[in-house]
Amino acid sequence: MDVGSATFDRSSLVSFAKGTVSLAVVLVLWEVVTQLGMIHYYFLPPLSDILFATDSSFVALTADGTLIYHGYLTVRRALVGLVIATVLGIAVGVLSARSKIMSWFWDPIIEVGYPVPVIALVPVFIFWFGTGDVSKIALVTLGCFWPVAINARNATREVDENLIWSARMMGTSDRELLRRVVVPAAAPGIISGLQIALPISLIITFVFEMVAGGGGLGHIEIQGVRSFDSVQVYASLIAIMILGFALDRALRILRHRLLAWT
Amino acid sequence: MSYADFRLDGLEESVPEPVQRIAWFVFEWIPLAILVGVWELMSGTVVPSVVLPSPFEVGAAVWELLVTGDVLPHLQISLYRVGVGLALSIVVGVLLGVGMARSQPVENVFEVFLALIYPIPKAALVPLAILWLGVGTETAILIVFLACLLPIVLNSYNAAQDVDQNLIWSAQMMGMPSWKIPLKVVIPATFPSILTGIRQAIPIAFIALVSAELIASNEGVGFEILRYGEVGAYTLMFAVLVIISAAAFFAVRGYEWAERRLIRWT
Repeated sequence: MDVGSATFDRSSLVSFAKGTVSLAVVLVLWEVVTQLGMIHYYFLPPLSDILFATDSSFVALTADGTLIYHGYLTVRRALVGLVIATVLGIAVGVLSARSKIMSWFWDPIIEVGYPVPVIALVPVFIFWFGTGDVSKIALVTLGCFWPVAINARNATREVDENLIWSARMMGTSDRELLRRVVVPAAAPGIISGLQIALPISLIITFVFEMVAGGGGLGHIEIQGVRSFDSVQVYASLIAIMILGFALDRALRILRHRLLAWT
Repeated sequence: MSYADFRLDGLEESVPEPVQRIAWFVFEWIPLAILVGVWELMSGTVVPSVVLPSPFEVGAAVWELLVTGDVLPHLQISLYRVGVGLALSIVVGVLLGVGMARSQPVENVFEVFLALIYPIPKAALVPLAILWLGVGTETAILIVFLACLLPIVLNSYNAAQDVDQNLIWSAQMMGMPSWKIPLKVVIPATFPSILTGIRQAIPIAFIALVSAELIASNEGVGFEILRYGEVGAYTLMFAVLVIISAAAFFAVRGYEWAERRLIRWT
């Protein structure tokens, strides 16, 4: 079922068509049942209301720029944090796989730090850094650091020693060795770490926005709950779904590009 | 990388084994001691002790919370939420994963819905859960359940697809009725992968739990962290944080220990 695979052969096209049928049935059922008033409007508004028929529908909120602006705020926080965590995580991970002292220092810290549910630090970071972007980005960085570092470390340890010996023999300096041999050889594992970190960055951003406000899709969504506007909750969820899908796809394409040589 | 590289030749013979083990244990955990030491030095000097209470104060607060039992009802309800959510996701996830792998119609119906919830970070579903179930335990359980569902479905699906066809043919030949085959042959054969899926789901369950409790709860550990933060009891806030982290750590460790024993037995 590989949920994200981009290749379609004939049989998967057929099953895709069948899947679309079951989706269509559910969506039509949703519209009919809710229009008949069989489910309370607050729990599940009609699909047409969510998509375009009301003031806080997906189309209306996209057209007036609300979802686009707040989506931008969310993406900026998540991606800036993810990029910082990637740089730090690769550095710590690769070095602690290549150096005994770094490994001695970082292994127990990673061991203890990784299981901490970083999301529980939201109140701590509000206290330390306030509710602004700095605070959110810092927590995203902390949350994404562990999976990136662990995957980079494990992937680097697996790098074939023969590759390193050959490069050494051909006169590659130590610094060049890391950049030109070790990191490229460990790249598949490092990118896997990024793929684990991406949803974590989004989770932290959304939860932080819901708890502390300051705009963003999470804030818009929880605002819908607080103002009893369930259409807005569903509309922002659609935006979140599209965002999650787009970022996941982007990372897959990046993976494909970067690893094209393998 | 092993620590053998640090060993001195001949040391193994001259020092008794238990002493060696203790020595290596201490040696391995020195970095954490350094970290705690830096924390202790910084608290009250570089940063005010209100902002970063000293590790000993936090330790004392953990002890106090556990002895007075102030945190226990919250810990209990949080563990209940994680347990029920995870258990539900295991039952539903295994059935769904095995069903989708072994039956094309089941896959056709459910695949599209799994593909739809896959890109949504499950914590973003908390507001939706509030609409349906209100603020409280049901919402937290639903979020834990949804967050753990996909890893378990994916692991059991992949394993069930790889089940040796000979096993199934043998069972059929020996006259096993076809409705019994998934239960008696496929699920036992996929057992190790199901265990891996659960192992992946436990940390996710704690993330989902805390997310739900921060946003939509009046009790539970996540709520306690937020409340202590809001009333300015920062030492207690850090103490509860230590407690939930320890709970998550020991949940994973305990599970890994149980898994090893189970695997040895199978």
